[in-house]
Amino acid sequence: RRMFSLLGATTLVLVAGAPWTLPAAVGGINLKSPQNVEVHIIDDTFTLSWNRSDLAVGNVTFSADYQVPRNDTWLKLPGCQSITSTKCNFSSLKLNIYEEVKLRIRAEKGNDTSPWHNVDAFTPFEKAQIGPPKVHLEAEDKAIKINISPPGAKDGIMWALDSSSFTYSLAIWKNSSSAEVRTKTVYPRDKIYQLSPETTYCLKVRARLLPRKIGAYSPVHCIKTTVENKLPPPENIRIDAKNDIYVLKWDYAYENVTFQAQWLHAYFRKIPGSESGKWRQISDCANVKTTQCVIPQNTFQKGIYLIRVQASDGNTTSVWSKDKRFDPQLQSVLAPPVINMKSTNDVSLRVYISAPEESENKSVNQHYSVIYEIVFWENISNAERKTLEKRTDLTFPNLKPLTVYCAKARALTADERWNKSSIFSDPVCEKTKAGNTSKTWLIAGICVALLSIPVVSYVLKLLLRCIRYVFFPSSKPPSTIHEYLSEPPLRNLLLFTSEEQTERCFIIENTNILTAVEEPDQAGEDHKKYNSQTSQDSGNYSNEDESNGSKCGEDFPQEEAE
Amino acid sequence: MMGRCTLHIALLVCFSTSALAVSYKLLGFQLRSSSLECQELLLKLNGTSKYCLKDRMNFEIPEEITKSQPFQKEEAILVILEIFQKIFDIFSRNISSTGWNETTVENLLATLHWQKEHLETILEEIMEEENFTWDNATLLHLKKYYLRIVRYLKAKEYSTCAWTVVQAEVLRDFFFLDRLINFLQN
Repeated sequence: RRMFSLLGATTLVLVAGAPWTLPAAVGGINLKSPQNVEVHIIDDTFTLSWNRSDLAVGNVTFSADYQVPRNDTWLKLPGCQSITSTKCNFSSLKLNIYEEVKLRIRAEKGNDTSPWHNVDAFTPFEKAQIGPPKVHLEAEDKAIKINISPPGAKDGIMWALDSSSFTYSLAIWKNSSSAEVRTKTVYPRDKIYQLSPETTYCLKVRARLLPRKIGAYSPVHCIKTTVENKLPPPENIRIDAKNDIYVLKWDYAYENVTFQAQWLHAYFRKIPGSESGKWRQISDCANVKTTQCVIPQNTFQKGIYLIRVQASDGNTTSVWSKDKRFDPQLQSVLAPPVINMKSTNDVSLRVYISAPEESENKSVNQHYSVIYEIVFWENISNAERKTLEKRTDLTFPNLKPLTVYCAKARALTADERWNKSSIFSDPVCEKTKAGNTSKTWLIAGICVALLSIPVVSYVLKLLLRCIRYVFFPSSKPPSTIHEYLSEPPLRNLLLFTSEEQTERCFIIENTNILTAVEEPDQAGEDHKKYNSQTSQDSGNYSNEDESNGSKCGEDFPQEEAE
Repeated sequence: MMGRCTLHIALLVCFSTSALAVSYKLLGFQLRSSSLECQELLLKLNGTSKYCLKDRMNFEIPEEITKSQPFQKEEAILVILEIFQKIFDIFSRNISSTGWNETTVENLLATLHWQKEHLETILEEIMEEENFTWDNATLLHLKKYYLRIVRYLKAKEYSTCAWTVVQAEVLRDFFFLDRLINFLQN
């Protein structure tokens, strides 16, 4: 039984295992999915490429699916179904190029399929590369006119919104062996000047899209410039602003010619389509005989313009001159900036530059990036220091303390092409503060001075007293004695020290026997003995000598009582 | 004296290499005045409003723009340039049916172009000087948004009403653009 169950189990296992072991047992191919799958997008062409994983085993085809974010299902990728080669083109699929898309591909052979190979999700626009632009050339005697069509098909979707955002760079060289290649940025419709007549030039162009897409170069085009014209075009066109007019000037070698000038909005160069009908005559410069003309300022509003001049001698006209790029904002006068200076604690001066106040006609500084030239000098020495700064807040450190420095500034256009500068602002001067160490000494000095005032005054007072005591003694007795003498009887006693106080007292006899006392001659004291009783009664004694006016009676009983 | 001189030069060099050669404050100033002029010009273009109510459409302007999420200065410039470029592209299309004053449209395009050129120059400077990374998602969302507007115009065959709707939408864009310009000031 055990044997049977074991047998049953193994057959079960075999049967169950058959589906995946059988092919191997048969010796068939286990299809592997394609390797190194890549997506390439150039303009509107979408290609998917891969490598076979197995060595050439016939009849293997490949199919791909795609998926868009909102839909969870996989859809068949058109143009990539049952492909025998290792590349397919699915450009016919109208995707939203700004949305992510996922792809997967697998190998197929008959009914067998390999597992899906998933391609990482990507955004077509991000992956797309810029293809070569199309170039059309027209030769003049000393210039070549170029007309560049944006990359991609005319109704393509990849660059549909960016066609006017492309910038083009061109490389041009003479078709000789040791040719120098010149590269420059060009507009879609532009001219390349400074060429020699009757020479073959070759060039190639590529498109660029900010921020980081750079396209492939177009194929090289060569063209030969024509014979030199009899009438050359005017050269060196320049425009100067004066008060409320513009003066347009140019150079011309020949005489007896009339000129005319035209202007165009520069943006027309960026829009596909012809610009020929868009050039406008500058009426103030029609048929002028001099090499300059005057245009009122209100002709040109804010924007970028192109101006060209043509010469004519009645029979023939020259080609148009090189377009002069003209920005009215820039041609007007740059206003001087406003400069402020503050002294900071660590013996340095901080300079603030601000844009000039807005006047009626807005000044250039507001519309263009300007840099500032700051001239900084010590008021006394006049040794100037010049710096060019883009920053509007800077510090001049490590200056001398308590010195006056002055600064003035002017604005310059950052772009050297336009080379405009304003007049200098009024100079501002500021004195630097004292340094830290001298400052603390100063504070210490003040404190000491403050503290010393009471001390000094006290010392002076003492001194004064001393002097007064020595040289001007006062007749007043010292205060202690003065106090003691303030009571009246004592005062009387003192007053009589110079004189002896003599008294003659006569005692009136009473119940008690009293002894008469003689007038003493002694300087000492008079002692009279009395009975205490009598003294009490004798309140009305009289003295012979009443000059002193004192009553002696009251004194004596005291003596007896002792 | 020489020591101080060399110190000053050294300081200047340090500052000039570390500081970007763009004055963001001035750029913000310029952008605001350009935006204001464009809005004034757009308002000058008359729209036949009543009959076009049925043609209104929600173009779904990207959230990053409406929710005033903070941008780095360089990223803000990228986004602002994208907006100027796309609006320029839209208004350089077939406007003949609208009956709008040609000079006004030209001035609008001229202002947009002027600002675009200047921003492109600055961006090229930034690209050369710094290696900054940005998130492409915002730019892609913006491109999708403008694609919707262009497809709408094409579908409506550039009719007057379609242009009126687009004019209103673009005016709204300038409002959000002004908010973006504020990010250059920080």
